[in-house]
Amino acid sequence: MATLYKEFLLLVRDPGGMTLLFLMPLALVIVMALVQDAPFRDYQEIKLDVLFADLDHDSLGTRIQQAFHASPNINLVENNDTAAVNDLVHSGEFKAAIILPADASKTLRQKSNRVITDVLVNAGLVAESPRPVELTGIRITILFDPVIKANYKQVLSAAIEKILTGIQAEWILDELQNQLSENRPGTKKIKPDLSGLITIDQTYASENAASELELNSVQHNVPAWTMFAMFFILYPLAGNYIKEREEGSLLRLRLISGSGLPVVTGKFAFYFGICLLQFVLMILVGIYIMPLIGLKALILGSNITGIIITACSVAIAATGYGTLIAVYFKTPQQALSFGSISVVILSAFGGVWVPVYVMPGVLQQISRFSPLNWGLESFNDLFLRDAETILILPNLLKLIIFGAVTLAASIFINKSRTVS
Amino acid sequence: MTNAIVQVDHITKQYRGSLQPAVSDLSLQIDEGSVFGLLGPNGAGKSTLVMMMCGLLTPDGGSISLLGMNVKNKGAAIRKQVGVAPQEIALFPTLTAYENLFYFGRMYGLDAAVIRDRIDSYLTTFDLKEKANARVQTFSGGMKRRLNLIAALLHQPKLIILDEPTSGVDVQSRNVILDFLVALAAKKTTIIYSSHLLAEAERICTHLAILDAGKLIVAGTPEQVMEATPGNDTLEQVFLTLTGKNIRD
Repeated sequence: MATLYKEFLLLVRDPGGMTLLFLMPLALVIVMALVQDAPFRDYQEIKLDVLFADLDHDSLGTRIQQAFHASPNINLVENNDTAAVNDLVHSGEFKAAIILPADASKTLRQKSNRVITDVLVNAGLVAESPRPVELTGIRITILFDPVIKANYKQVLSAAIEKILTGIQAEWILDELQNQLSENRPGTKKIKPDLSGLITIDQTYASENAASELELNSVQHNVPAWTMFAMFFILYPLAGNYIKEREEGSLLRLRLISGSGLPVVTGKFAFYFGICLLQFVLMILVGIYIMPLIGLKALILGSNITGIIITACSVAIAATGYGTLIAVYFKTPQQALSFGSISVVILSAFGGVWVPVYVMPGVLQQISRFSPLNWGLESFNDLFLRDAETILILPNLLKLIIFGAVTLAASIFINKSRTVS
Repeated sequence: MTNAIVQVDHITKQYRGSLQPAVSDLSLQIDEGSVFGLLGPNGAGKSTLVMMMCGLLTPDGGSISLLGMNVKNKGAAIRKQVGVAPQEIALFPTLTAYENLFYFGRMYGLDAAVIRDRIDSYLTTFDLKEKANARVQTFSGGMKRRLNLIAALLHQPKLIILDEPTSGVDVQSRNVILDFLVALAAKKTTIIYSSHLLAEAERICTHLAILDAGKLIVAGTPEQVMEATPGNDTLEQVFLTLTGKNIRD
């Protein structure tokens, strides 16, 4: 308790340390969540302006415009000057443009007519007629700004393809009705609804199917940067430890019989508590502050016990690592430089900056050795997959063993340097 | 000598990578209640010897006994009865004098009430009572040095090892410290006093040992040391005669 109180006094009287431990991580998590919000948002949340050059001036162009009008992601801006369209996309003012060629409607009608005639002739329902000249297919051009993201490009192409497929199906059905009703006066044409034939349900495979869990900027950044901040505990821990060593107070403690264990456990317990406090504050920021700045609120999932155990495991690993850095290095410059750079590297491998699944295979293998990856995977399992504690147990054990090994190594090194 | 509280027998220590031993085949004994001055130029081996006495360094050969116990295997038990005031101001600068002393008292395993009483008593003795709640970083060099000494006395050890306890302090502070040490020795507390300040040693030490190049040159009462080098009137002259006038770094 004496060491806990002493560490508390040392920290509260160190404004720089307090800022580093609490304000900087909170600022970091908010800034990173804001910066990464756009890349993390699903495409349907983004409205993309796309130029539309309708050289057809017929029903296909009108139909395309109607279809895109219903799309929440794409806003068609009509401009029939193809040269201007080319320039606007080339200059990056627009990310994409759709050019519908002249006579597209006419060609599509003829192609539909040909397809239906072939089917009916094949079924013996109409007599074969001489084939007119072969028709070439309609070539719709999509221009892309070279800097457009690959996923935007894919989504836009898929949307256009989907719309054209729908229009094509409607026109073929229409043509089928035309030909079937040719010799049946009084037959009324109908417009069948094709939209509900096949529906796709999209849902996340979490254990709690009713939850609203999804990966977004807040869900990724809050646990990721929280862990980063927790591992940065090494900065004040190592800084204070080495300062005490240089000032001589640590020497005095070494000379006090029986003080070794209370000093080490007191320090460990104090910084462990600080890590947990950081965690709670960052989580509160995720839940209550993020919505105030236009981001989604952090959703924790339902396994609160699992979250607490994970936070404790990460705190053990972070404090153990910080202690090892503090004990191993002889000067603050060495300890703080190595410590902070190593945390940045471990966090990069661990998936804090970018998710592990987008990394090259080799890095994905390396990431399995980063304690930040063990923690982040556990938080993702809890927050996004609403996992049971048993599922994250292997990662928790790795974190605890990492903490225990680094702490044991610290005690060994410390002892070997005390008596030499 | 009788009632030896410190017994050093043929101690040798050579640091890794060093060509010369820091301490070489050194033997001495210190009686209970004496103020033992450990003198020598830079690199003489004083700090190495003190570190080995405290159990912070393991000798390559020989043995050290403090309070009748071997340092090698009874280090923890010995440290409970030994107080060390290192040359560094081994205090937490952002804690107050009271907070520093209370923390070290707790680390010595003392009860809170006992610690409070002793803090009160020592702060009064060393004229620091009014500064009890001031942070150490605001103290003068002399105040820090006095507080550094108090921190080594809280558990009322039988043996006190002081490394340059008056380094960088004013005349008034030095006087308070030296008077206190003499009074303490009168109560049968043994003091090992490592210093460069020969006038101080002459004033308070009952016994002296002069070391050079890791070896014991001379040991005994101040009178015995003076007699060992005839023709010298002061301890400083004796010291220069025995250790030479070359500058040591």
